[in-house]
Amino acid sequence: MKAYLSAFRMRRRMELQYRGAVLGGVICQVFFGLILVAVYRAMYAGKPQAFPLSHITSYVWLQQAFFRMLLASDPELLDKIRTGSIAYDLCRPLNLYGFYYVRIMAQKMTGSLLRAAPMLAFAFLLPEGWGLMLPASPEGFAWSLAGLLLGLLCVSALENITMGFTMRTLDSRGMQALLNLLMMILAGNILPLTLFPDSWQRVITLLPYAQLLDAPIRLYTGETPLSAAPGILLIQILWTLLLTGAGILFWQANQKRIEIQGG
Amino acid sequence: MSYICVRDLEKCFVIREKRKQGALLREKKTVRALQEVSFDVEQGELLGYIGPNGAGKSTTVKILSGILTPDGGEATVGGRIPWKERKEHVRRIGVVFGQRTQLWWDVPIRDSYDLLKDIYRIPPEDYRSRLAELSRTLQLEELMRTPLRQLSLGQRMRAELCGSLLHRPELLFLDEPTIGLDAVSKLALREFLLWENRQYGTTILLTTHDMEDIVALCPRVMVLGHGRKLFDGSLSDLLGRYDTVRTVTVNYEEEEAEPELPASIVPVREGKNLTLSYSPQEYATAELIARLQEAGTVRELTVQPQNIDRLVAAMYREMDL
Repeated sequence: MKAYLSAFRMRRRMELQYRGAVLGGVICQVFFGLILVAVYRAMYAGKPQAFPLSHITSYVWLQQAFFRMLLASDPELLDKIRTGSIAYDLCRPLNLYGFYYVRIMAQKMTGSLLRAAPMLAFAFLLPEGWGLMLPASPEGFAWSLAGLLLGLLCVSALENITMGFTMRTLDSRGMQALLNLLMMILAGNILPLTLFPDSWQRVITLLPYAQLLDAPIRLYTGETPLSAAPGILLIQILWTLLLTGAGILFWQANQKRIEIQGG
Repeated sequence: MSYICVRDLEKCFVIREKRKQGALLREKKTVRALQEVSFDVEQGELLGYIGPNGAGKSTTVKILSGILTPDGGEATVGGRIPWKERKEHVRRIGVVFGQRTQLWWDVPIRDSYDLLKDIYRIPPEDYRSRLAELSRTLQLEELMRTPLRQLSLGQRMRAELCGSLLHRPELLFLDEPTIGLDAVSKLALREFLLWENRQYGTTILLTTHDMEDIVALCPRVMVLGHGRKLFDGSLSDLLGRYDTVRTVTVNYEEEEAEPELPASIVPVREGKNLTLSYSPQEYATAELIARLQEAGTVRELTVQPQNIDRLVAAMYREMDL
């Protein structure tokens, strides 16, 4: 267990080194956030929706702040697979799935927290109707934190399945392009899931992508009533278990047929 | 039973290559990377493993280190089957892949070692003394706080070696450890490996293309070609078989020296220098030298065995590799 914890810490420390990238990411995401908010304001000016504007702007800012959690595969791990340095990791007395899982989690967590802190501070300072609202209730906030943590576990499991595909194809780009498109749409990054037609929402909120950020954000804004919170978390837990289990099986199958080419 | 015991090991790879005609279709080709390879290694042995590129050396190492599953045959290391009892097995071995890296690119090497300490559950006391010992012998003390990316190739290889030995493996696999190193680094690396082997009785299995590595380190050599074992024995035996050409150069005081030589040896004259090649199996070196001395006043005389790389090349040629 200590080994996995150390690997997590190590990856976190590495992520902290790339401060320039954090600054760049924050600027980029603030820019996107402002544009999206402006678009929704224009939309609301034309025809107000049933859903309060402040919820939408909060949704946008929380999505942008934790953007790093969704995209960005760990380039180091992909490189290891491509170049064959994964051979070293296969020689460790560790479970390889777990070893990569903690590193993915550390990267996603550290990367997104580093970016989220300044961005959320910025979004709080924006005027009403532009920025981030306070959580609907303290209980809702607590639920949303738990939901965010589960979202992190869930997205790390998803990412590790992508890694598994990379072990087969040696190039992550095809699979990533496909999965990222799905992720951006179904996680609510491009259009908040709350703005999808109700009939659609009934389905897409049950998909794994909705568990990453959409579920915790709805708990934050209070769109999900407190009474429904345990149910939401249960769905998250189920997906996390399912994706992790599938990933472990996939990796085990991979490990049996692995070939390290060259040298 | 021997420490490493390999019996009839087989491994195939499927390679897909483009057809000569028809751009869309690929052909499947099966390459037998290992065919009926068997050998034994005792604890504390230093074994050199040579063969041309693609002979199956790395495949053997990868199977014995538990990364690959063979398609047939048996192998045990210390009584364990590497690919079946992977975790227990790898705890006891160390691996250095000369062309890859195990340390973290962007962080000081000391941090990578700390992680390895936790991965192998090395007790803190043991870790401290072992790290001190290794960093002293591998001259890494000054580099502990430096990120890996800033090290030279020679420094990096020493750092990799240190990482692979922290947990005191009883068996060390070295896959081309001296590739790309300068003379000083190579010598230092060889010296260290000998020291580690003598000090702790670490069994070392080394694959390399650098014959000097073998000469310096390995009393026993195994030759692999096209996935088959072709030779297993001492280096001198191996070289004796292919040591067929020797060259003598004589420098006389006078220009007209005409030594009496067997008809099959035709000397090449260049002023006062005379160069001749012969086979040591056919003519005794001492006798030839005596004849050369009778012909005039010898100022200088050198006898050169064939360059070891040429020997190996001749051997590969004869074995049809």
